[in-house]
Amino acid sequence: MHNDNDDDLAPAAYDDDELRLLALLPREAAVAPDEFERLRRRLSQDGFFRPPMQRWRVPALAAAALLLLATGFAAGRFLARRDSLEDLLARRNLSAGDRILLLQRAGSAYVRAAQSYADATATIDSSAVEVASKVLVGAAHAVARSSLDAGLAARLTDAVQPPVVPRAAAPRKPITWF
Amino acid sequence: MTLIRRFLDGDERAFRVLYDRHTPRLKMTIRRLLGRRQHDVDDVVQETWLAGCRGLHGFRGDAKFSSWLTSIGVRASYALLSRAAEREGESIDEIVAPTPTEGPATTIDLERALASLPDVPRIVVVLHDVEGFTHDEIAEQLGIAQGTSKATLSRARRALRNALTAGVSNAQR
Repeated sequence: MHNDNDDDLAPAAYDDDELRLLALLPREAAVAPDEFERLRRRLSQDGFFRPPMQRWRVPALAAAALLLLATGFAAGRFLARRDSLEDLLARRNLSAGDRILLLQRAGSAYVRAAQSYADATATIDSSAVEVASKVLVGAAHAVARSSLDAGLAARLTDAVQPPVVPRAAAPRKPITWF
Repeated sequence: MTLIRRFLDGDERAFRVLYDRHTPRLKMTIRRLLGRRQHDVDDVVQETWLAGCRGLHGFRGDAKFSSWLTSIGVRASYALLSRAAEREGESIDEIVAPTPTEGPATTIDLERALASLPDVPRIVVVLHDVEGFTHDEIAEQLGIAQGTSKATLSRARRALRNALTAGVSNAQR
Protein backbone atom coordinates (compact mmCIF):
# COMPACT_ATOMS: atom_id res chain seq x y z
CA MET A 1 0.00 0.00 0.00
CA HIS A 2 1.92 2.96 -1.28
CA ASN A 3 0.46 6.33 -2.03
CA ASP A 4 0.09 7.08 -5.67
CA ASN A 5 1.09 10.43 -7.05
CA ASP A 6 -1.80 12.79 -7.34
CA ASP A 7 -1.01 16.13 -8.93
CA ASP A 8 -3.35 18.25 -6.90
CA LEU A 9 -3.80 15.85 -3.99
CA ALA A 10 -0.16 15.17 -3.20
CA PRO A 11 0.96 15.13 0.44
CA ALA A 12 2.28 18.67 -0.20
CA ALA A 13 -1.32 19.74 0.28
CA TYR A 14 -0.47 19.56 3.97
CA ASP A 15 1.87 22.07 5.52
CA ASP A 16 4.93 20.99 7.47
CA ASP A 17 3.17 21.05 10.83
CA GLU A 18 0.34 18.95 9.56
CA LEU A 19 2.76 16.46 8.01
CA ARG A 20 4.67 16.31 11.27
CA LEU A 21 1.48 15.66 13.21
CA LEU A 22 0.45 12.96 10.75
CA ALA A 23 3.83 11.28 11.13
CA LEU A 24 3.55 11.47 14.92
CA LEU A 25 0.15 9.82 15.10
CA PRO A 26 0.36 6.62 17.15
CA ARG A 27 0.07 3.51 15.02
CA GLU A 28 -0.97 1.05 17.70
CA ALA A 29 -3.69 0.89 20.36
CA ALA A 30 -3.65 -0.98 23.64
CA VAL A 31 -5.49 -4.30 23.63
CA ALA A 32 -7.21 -5.50 26.80
CA PRO A 33 -6.67 -9.16 27.73
CA ASP A 34 -10.42 -9.86 27.83
CA GLU A 35 -10.68 -8.94 24.13
CA PHE A 36 -8.54 -11.92 23.23
CA GLU A 37 -10.47 -14.19 25.58
CA ARG A 38 -13.78 -13.13 24.02
CA LEU A 39 -12.46 -13.87 20.54
CA ARG A 40 -10.85 -17.13 21.64
CA ARG A 41 -14.21 -18.37 22.98
CA ARG A 42 -15.95 -17.48 19.73
CA LEU A 43 -13.31 -19.26 17.67
CA SER A 44 -13.47 -22.29 19.97
CA GLN A 45 -17.24 -22.46 19.49
CA ASP A 46 -16.59 -22.39 15.75
CA GLY A 47 -14.26 -25.39 16.17
CA PHE A 48 -11.02 -23.60 15.29
CA PHE A 49 -8.96 -25.00 18.13
CA ARG A 50 -8.32 -28.64 18.88
CA PRO A 51 -8.29 -29.53 22.59
CA PRO A 52 -4.79 -29.29 24.01
CA MET A 53 -2.97 -32.61 24.24
CA GLN A 54 -2.55 -33.48 27.92
CA ARG A 55 0.94 -34.38 29.05
CA TRP A 56 -0.20 -37.71 30.47
CA ARG A 57 -2.23 -38.64 27.43
CA VAL A 58 0.47 -40.28 25.30
CA PRO A 59 1.82 -42.58 28.04
CA ALA A 60 -1.75 -43.42 29.08
CA LEU A 61 -2.69 -44.30 25.52
CA ALA A 62 0.45 -46.43 25.15
CA ALA A 63 -0.30 -48.24 28.42
CA ALA A 64 -3.89 -48.83 27.35
CA ALA A 65 -2.72 -50.20 24.01
CA LEU A 66 -0.29 -52.58 25.74
CA LEU A 67 -2.98 -53.71 28.17
CA LEU A 68 -5.35 -54.35 25.30
CA LEU A 69 -2.70 -56.33 23.46
CA ALA A 70 -1.87 -58.44 26.52
CA THR A 71 -5.56 -59.07 27.24
CA GLY A 72 -6.13 -60.11 23.65
CA PHE A 73 -3.15 -62.43 23.72
CA ALA A 74 -4.29 -64.06 26.99
CA ALA A 75 -7.86 -64.41 25.74
CA GLY A 76 -6.59 -65.97 22.51
CA ARG A 77 -4.50 -68.49 24.38
CA PHE A 78 -7.38 -69.33 26.72
CA LEU A 79 -9.77 -69.87 23.83
CA ALA A 80 -7.23 -71.97 21.98
CA ARG A 81 -6.67 -74.23 24.99
CA ARG A 82 -10.30 -74.45 25.99
CA ASP A 83 -11.85 -77.81 25.14
CA SER A 84 -8.54 -79.08 23.78
CA LEU A 85 -7.76 -82.73 24.44
CA GLU A 86 -5.21 -81.75 27.05
CA ASP A 87 -7.70 -79.45 28.76
CA LEU A 88 -10.45 -82.08 28.78
CA LEU A 89 -8.03 -84.74 30.05
CA ALA A 90 -6.99 -82.48 32.90
CA ARG A 91 -10.56 -81.81 34.00
CA ARG A 92 -12.06 -83.80 36.86
CA ASN A 93 -15.62 -82.71 36.56
CA LEU A 94 -16.53 -84.22 33.18
CA SER A 95 -19.78 -86.07 32.84
CA ALA A 96 -19.94 -89.64 31.50
CA GLY A 97 -21.13 -88.33 28.15
CA ASP A 98 -18.25 -85.88 28.00
CA ARG A 99 -15.80 -88.66 28.77
CA ILE A 100 -17.18 -90.80 25.97
CA LEU A 101 -16.86 -87.81 23.68
CA LEU A 102 -13.29 -87.36 24.87
CA LEU A 103 -12.54 -91.00 24.07
CA GLN A 104 -13.95 -90.51 20.61
CA ARG A 105 -11.94 -87.34 20.04
CA ALA A 106 -8.75 -89.01 21.20
CA GLY A 107 -9.36 -91.87 18.78
CA SER A 108 -10.06 -89.46 15.96
CA ALA A 109 -6.89 -87.56 16.82
CA TYR A 110 -4.94 -90.80 16.64
CA VAL A 111 -6.39 -91.64 13.25
CA ARG A 112 -5.74 -88.13 11.92
CA ALA A 113 -2.16 -88.22 13.19
CA ALA A 114 -1.53 -91.58 11.52
CA GLN A 115 -3.08 -90.37 8.28
CA SER A 116 -1.08 -87.18 8.44
CA TYR A 117 2.11 -89.16 8.90
CA ALA A 118 1.28 -91.43 5.97
CA ASP A 119 0.51 -88.41 3.76
CA ALA A 120 3.74 -86.70 4.69
CA THR A 121 6.13 -89.59 4.09
CA ALA A 122 6.84 -91.47 0.89
CA THR A 123 8.10 -94.68 2.54
CA ILE A 124 6.90 -96.48 5.61
CA ASP A 125 9.31 -96.06 8.49
CA SER A 126 9.50 -99.10 10.77
CA SER A 127 9.79 -96.81 13.77
CA ALA A 128 6.50 -95.17 12.89
CA VAL A 129 4.83 -98.55 12.46
CA GLU A 130 6.12 -99.64 15.85
CA VAL A 131 4.93 -96.44 17.52
CA ALA A 132 1.52 -96.72 15.89
CA SER A 133 1.20 -100.37 16.93
CA LYS A 134 2.35 -99.79 20.49
CA VAL A 135 -0.13 -96.97 20.92
CA LEU A 136 -2.90 -99.26 19.74
CA VAL A 137 -1.74 -102.09 21.99
CA GLY A 138 -1.42 -99.69 24.92
CA ALA A 139 -4.91 -98.41 24.27
CA ALA A 140 -6.29 -101.93 23.98
CA HIS A 141 -4.64 -102.91 27.29
CA ALA A 142 -6.12 -99.86 28.93
CA VAL A 143 -9.57 -100.70 27.62
CA ALA A 144 -9.18 -104.32 28.74
CA ARG A 145 -8.10 -103.27 32.23
CA SER A 146 -11.08 -101.01 32.47
CA SER A 147 -13.44 -103.83 31.41
CA LEU A 148 -15.10 -101.36 29.12
CA ASP A 149 -15.97 -103.66 26.41
CA ALA A 150 -16.91 -107.14 27.74
CA GLY A 151 -14.18 -109.16 26.03
CA LEU A 152 -13.82 -107.23 22.81
CA ALA A 153 -10.88 -105.34 24.26
CA ALA A 154 -8.99 -108.54 25.00
CA ARG A 155 -9.49 -109.78 21.45
CA LEU A 156 -8.41 -106.44 20.15
CA THR A 157 -5.27 -106.66 22.26
CA ASP A 158 -4.46 -110.02 20.76
CA ALA A 159 -5.13 -108.74 17.27
CA VAL A 160 -2.76 -105.79 17.49
CA GLN A 161 -0.12 -107.61 19.54
CA PRO A 162 3.10 -107.64 17.45
CA PRO A 163 4.43 -111.05 16.45
CA VAL A 164 7.02 -112.63 18.73
CA VAL A 165 10.48 -111.92 17.40
CA PRO A 166 13.16 -114.62 17.80
CA ARG A 167 15.90 -113.67 20.23
CA ALA A 168 18.52 -114.08 17.50
CA ALA A 169 17.09 -111.30 15.52
CA ALA A 170 18.98 -108.01 15.34
CA PRO A 171 18.32 -105.74 18.28
CA ARG A 172 15.87 -103.07 17.43
CA LYS A 173 16.32 -99.48 18.28
CA PRO A 174 14.41 -98.73 21.46
CA ILE A 175 11.71 -96.14 21.10
CA THR A 176 10.42 -93.99 23.89
CA TRP A 177 6.89 -92.87 23.24
CA PHE A 178 5.20 -92.42 26.61
CA MET B 1 2.64 -18.42 6.82
CA THR B 2 3.94 -20.97 9.30
CA LEU B 3 1.88 -19.40 12.09
CA ILE B 4 -1.18 -19.31 9.85
CA ARG B 5 -0.75 -22.98 8.92
CA ARG B 6 -0.33 -23.92 12.56
CA PHE B 7 -3.43 -21.93 13.48
CA LEU B 8 -5.42 -23.62 10.71
CA ASP B 9 -4.24 -26.94 12.17
CA GLY B 10 -5.91 -25.93 15.44
CA ASP B 11 -2.92 -24.53 17.33
CA GLU B 12 -4.29 -21.92 19.73
CA ARG B 13 -0.83 -20.66 20.67
CA ALA B 14 -0.08 -19.82 17.03
CA PHE B 15 -3.29 -17.81 16.91
CA ARG B 16 -2.28 -16.00 20.08
CA VAL B 17 0.98 -14.96 18.45
CA LEU B 18 -0.86 -13.73 15.34
CA TYR B 19 -3.36 -11.86 17.49
CA ASP B 20 -0.73 -10.18 19.63
CA ARG B 21 1.28 -9.21 16.57
CA HIS B 22 -1.48 -7.65 14.48
CA THR B 23 -4.26 -6.48 16.79
CA PRO B 24 -2.72 -3.27 18.20
CA ARG B 25 -2.26 -1.78 14.74
CA LEU B 26 -5.59 -3.10 13.48
CA LYS B 27 -7.36 -1.66 16.49
CA MET B 28 -5.83 1.77 16.03
CA THR B 29 -6.81 1.82 12.35
CA ILE B 30 -10.37 0.80 13.17
CA ARG B 31 -10.54 3.33 15.98
CA ARG B 32 -9.65 6.14 13.54
CA LEU B 33 -12.01 4.84 10.89
CA LEU B 34 -14.94 4.74 13.29
CA GLY B 35 -14.47 8.35 14.42
CA ARG B 36 -17.02 9.11 17.12
CA ARG B 37 -18.32 5.53 17.34
CA GLN B 38 -15.55 4.48 19.71
CA HIS B 39 -17.88 2.17 21.64
CA ASP B 40 -18.02 -0.08 18.57
CA VAL B 41 -14.26 -0.44 18.18
CA ASP B 42 -13.87 -3.71 20.12
CA ASP B 43 -16.81 -5.30 18.31
CA VAL B 44 -15.45 -4.37 14.91
CA VAL B 45 -11.98 -5.66 15.83
CA GLN B 46 -13.55 -8.96 16.89
CA GLU B 47 -15.73 -9.09 13.79
CA THR B 48 -12.64 -8.46 11.66
CA TRP B 49 -10.72 -11.30 13.27
CA LEU B 50 -13.67 -13.67 12.98
CA ALA B 51 -14.14 -12.86 9.31
CA GLY B 52 -10.39 -13.15 8.79
CA CYS B 53 -10.18 -16.53 10.51
CA ARG B 54 -13.17 -17.88 8.61
CA GLY B 55 -11.66 -16.76 5.32
CA LEU B 56 -8.09 -17.66 6.17
CA HIS B 57 -8.15 -20.77 3.98
CA GLY B 58 -8.47 -18.40 1.04
CA PHE B 59 -5.43 -16.33 2.07
CA ARG B 60 -2.71 -17.27 -0.41
CA GLY B 61 0.04 -15.14 1.06
CA ASP B 62 0.51 -12.94 -2.03
CA ALA B 63 -0.25 -9.89 0.17
CA LYS B 64 1.02 -9.20 3.66
CA PHE B 65 -1.22 -10.72 6.27
CA SER B 66 -1.47 -7.36 8.06
CA SER B 67 -2.66 -5.63 4.86
CA TRP B 68 -5.15 -8.43 4.20
CA LEU B 69 -6.50 -8.19 7.74
CA THR B 70 -6.65 -4.39 7.60
CA SER B 71 -8.71 -4.61 4.40
CA ILE B 72 -11.22 -6.77 6.24
CA GLY B 73 -11.24 -4.26 9.09
CA VAL B 74 -11.86 -1.39 6.67
CA ARG B 75 -14.82 -3.17 5.10
CA ALA B 76 -16.23 -4.08 8.52
CA SER B 77 -15.88 -0.48 9.73
CA TYR B 78 -17.43 0.97 6.60
CA ALA B 79 -20.32 -1.51 6.79
CA LEU B 80 -20.96 -0.60 10.42
CA LEU B 81 -20.90 3.13 9.70
CA SER B 82 -23.25 2.69 6.74
CA ARG B 83 -25.67 0.61 8.83
CA ALA B 84 -25.54 3.13 11.68
CA ALA B 85 -26.13 6.07 9.34
CA GLU B 86 -29.07 4.27 7.77
CA ARG B 87 -30.54 3.31 11.15
CA GLU B 88 -30.04 6.65 12.83
CA GLY B 89 -30.97 8.70 9.79
CA GLU B 90 -27.71 10.53 10.10
CA SER B 91 -25.83 11.67 7.05
CA ILE B 92 -22.39 10.14 6.96
CA ASP B 93 -21.20 13.43 5.48
CA GLU B 94 -22.37 15.52 8.41
CA ILE B 95 -19.54 17.56 9.94
CA VAL B 96 -19.27 17.82 13.69
CA ALA B 97 -17.27 20.66 15.22
CA PRO B 98 -14.10 19.45 16.97
CA THR B 99 -13.64 20.02 20.66
CA PRO B 100 -11.51 23.16 21.21
CA THR B 101 -8.02 22.74 22.69
CA GLU B 102 -5.30 25.12 23.90
CA GLY B 103 -1.87 25.92 22.41
CA PRO B 104 -0.34 24.66 19.16
CA ALA B 105 -1.93 21.71 17.42
CA THR B 106 -0.95 18.35 18.79
CA THR B 107 -1.59 14.80 17.68
CA ILE B 108 -4.56 14.81 20.02
CA ASP B 109 -5.98 17.80 18.13
CA LEU B 110 -5.38 15.98 14.88
CA GLU B 111 -7.14 12.88 16.20
CA ARG B 112 -10.09 15.04 17.27
CA ALA B 113 -10.14 16.82 13.93
CA LEU B 114 -10.10 13.47 12.13
CA ALA B 115 -12.91 12.17 14.32
CA SER B 116 -14.94 15.27 13.55
CA LEU B 117 -14.88 14.61 9.81
CA PRO B 118 -17.87 12.97 8.14
CA ASP B 119 -17.50 9.22 7.80
CA VAL B 120 -16.52 8.82 4.15
CA PRO B 121 -14.01 11.73 4.04
CA ARG B 122 -12.54 10.51 7.31
CA ILE B 123 -12.16 6.97 6.02
CA VAL B 124 -10.52 8.19 2.83
CA VAL B 125 -8.09 10.52 4.59
CA VAL B 126 -7.20 7.92 7.21
CA LEU B 127 -6.63 5.21 4.62
CA HIS B 128 -4.67 7.44 2.24
CA ASP B 129 -2.72 9.77 4.49
CA VAL B 130 -2.28 7.66 7.60
CA GLU B 131 -2.37 4.05 6.43
CA GLY B 132 -0.85 4.60 2.99
CA PHE B 133 -3.57 3.01 0.85
CA THR B 134 -3.64 3.96 -2.84
CA HIS B 135 -6.76 5.45 -4.42
CA ASP B 136 -7.15 2.17 -6.28
CA GLU B 137 -7.26 0.25 -3.03
CA ILE B 138 -9.57 2.77 -1.36
CA ALA B 139 -11.93 2.67 -4.33
CA GLU B 140 -11.99 -1.13 -4.15
CA GLN B 141 -12.55 -1.22 -0.39
CA LEU B 142 -15.37 1.34 -0.38
CA GLY B 143 -16.90 0.38 -3.71
CA ILE B 144 -16.46 3.85 -5.18
CA ALA B 145 -14.72 5.19 -8.28
CA GLN B 146 -11.06 6.07 -8.08
CA GLY B 147 -11.87 9.69 -9.06
CA THR B 148 -14.40 9.86 -6.24
CA SER B 149 -11.72 8.78 -3.83
CA LYS B 150 -9.38 11.52 -5.06
CA ALA B 151 -12.04 14.20 -4.91
CA THR B 152 -13.11 13.05 -1.45
CA LEU B 153 -9.53 13.17 -0.22
CA SER B 154 -9.13 16.71 -1.52
CA ARG B 155 -12.28 17.83 0.30
CA ALA B 156 -11.35 15.87 3.38
CA ARG B 157 -7.95 17.55 3.66
CA ARG B 158 -9.54 20.99 3.49
CA ALA B 159 -12.10 19.99 6.08
CA LEU B 160 -9.39 18.52 8.26
CA ARG B 161 -7.35 21.70 8.09
CA ASN B 162 -10.41 23.78 8.93
CA ALA B 163 -11.30 21.52 11.81
CA LEU B 164 -7.77 21.62 13.13
CA THR B 165 -7.56 25.42 12.84
CA ALA B 166 -11.01 25.90 14.30
CA GLY B 167 -10.28 23.61 17.20
CA VAL B 168 -7.07 25.39 18.14
CA SER B 169 -8.26 28.93 17.50
CA ASN B 170 -11.51 28.34 19.39
CA ALA B 171 -9.47 27.31 22.37
CA GLN B 172 -7.25 30.37 22.10
CA ARG B 173 -10.19 32.84 22.18
